[in-house]
Amino acid sequence: MLLPGSTPLWDTRPPLRPSYDAVLIGGGLHSLATAYFLARDHGMTDVAIFEKRFIGYGGAGRNTAIVRANQRTQENVPLYQEALELWPVLTRELDYNLMFYNCGNLNLCHSEAAVTAARMNIASAQFQGVGSEFLEPDEVKKLVPALDVSDRPRHPVHGAMFHPPGGIVRHDAVVWGLAKGASERGIHIHQQTEVTGIRTVDGRIDGVETSRGTINSPRVLLSAGGYSAGLSHRFLDVRLPISPLTIQAMVTQPLKPLLDHVVSSGAYHVYCNQTLKGEIATGAHMDPWPNYTTQTTAHYLKHQAEALTDILPCLRGVRFMRHWAGLADMTPDMAPIIDGNDPIEGYYLNCGWGYFGFKSCTSTGKYMAQYLATGERPEILEPFTLNRYKRHRLMGETAGATSYSPWN
Amino acid sequence: MSFLITCPICGPRNGYEFRYGGEDKGPRPDEADMTPETWVEYVHMNRCVAGASKEWWFHRDGCSAWFTIWRDTTTNLQVRAPDDALARSPADAPEGES
Repeated sequence: MLLPGSTPLWDTRPPLRPSYDAVLIGGGLHSLATAYFLARDHGMTDVAIFEKRFIGYGGAGRNTAIVRANQRTQENVPLYQEALELWPVLTRELDYNLMFYNCGNLNLCHSEAAVTAARMNIASAQFQGVGSEFLEPDEVKKLVPALDVSDRPRHPVHGAMFHPPGGIVRHDAVVWGLAKGASERGIHIHQQTEVTGIRTVDGRIDGVETSRGTINSPRVLLSAGGYSAGLSHRFLDVRLPISPLTIQAMVTQPLKPLLDHVVSSGAYHVYCNQTLKGEIATGAHMDPWPNYTTQTTAHYLKHQAEALTDILPCLRGVRFMRHWAGLADMTPDMAPIIDGNDPIEGYYLNCGWGYFGFKSCTSTGKYMAQYLATGERPEILEPFTLNRYKRHRLMGETAGATSYSPWN
Repeated sequence: MSFLITCPICGPRNGYEFRYGGEDKGPRPDEADMTPETWVEYVHMNRCVAGASKEWWFHRDGCSAWFTIWRDTTTNLQVRAPDDALARSPADAPEGES
């Protein structure tokens, strides 16, 4: 609801044209960013986004706002690094405060094995020019005094990987800012318009069927977050190596400032940060079986509270205020599926981001726009093709996909 | 609503006792004329149906039985096989159909 006298940031009811140069399925951040960069960099403004519900309904509004570029493989890091660099640029360009807070990410290690893995990640980051360093437990304590680095916790802290350039971004602001920027440049954002089918003629994309009629278009990008794999199968019988898992998150009641970094721990299966409102936003858990419920479970709320208060004992007795869940479309190698014109000419895919979709949306949108506009795959997106599976060239983004797959 | 899975040996049990074993993709492809494509389809590619899905489960914290059930992925509840499931069973479906 708008206040009297205020105007919407973007055109919420654009006219529906019978055809577009490009149709983007899904009104999430990857679509919005792709649309924005199509207009900004390639002068393509005859573009429509179709969203079944409303923009920001899915992962765009359900993530925990964390951004970072300390991934493991050399294929992934440059994309995330550029995404990180784009937050301040976009804040200026969109003339909208995205509230990028580069407070840094601290990833705790609770075993010698975790320390070894962290040292490799740090070496990869430093090789790529990304800020990342190893901290001993006493340095960890100095950085985040609230952390318990003694021998008391079930998993004592052996050290941490500190990544200063990362942090948090206000995720709703990114949705609104990109929608504003895309809409101002002539992109049509059609909310409450469901795509019900993708039309092909002689192995080429011809358009989409929607709840408001048939729309012609020579190119269609499927970028519907956790719903992409199911839609790809339903619309085109193209199956993807994806499992949509529900990931849960929650916030505590607001507290005085006590945590000025993003803190995460693989062993405890928890990440947390203090929002600008004072809440501790925390999450990490996934139901280890595919589902579209976006429901939280008592099972994991309890675990989250136990984990959080073991590393941050000062939070004992603090209440959770809200909890929610979103979909993470997990691939076996923790890397996205970005492809085009294979097997169908004009059909583009950008999905399989798992829980990395938020932190990657800006740079990926930029290169996806280039891909759609030129038909040529940008080199930086080359490693993410669907046929890497057929070639058995999976990426080693996780040392072992034990916690983040439906197979744990 | 709690998530219960019916184990063929132990009966209805708490869903957290079980491990998900993937979508039912029919019999393992024949080794004789195996191509990378058929193998990758079998191992990695999923239908990700929003609705009733036939899938494998393993009673990890129980009797260790492997079995298939139908589950509605939008409600996370075990459901009866859809009426037309036998005709459309992934195991029986011809190539390219589902």
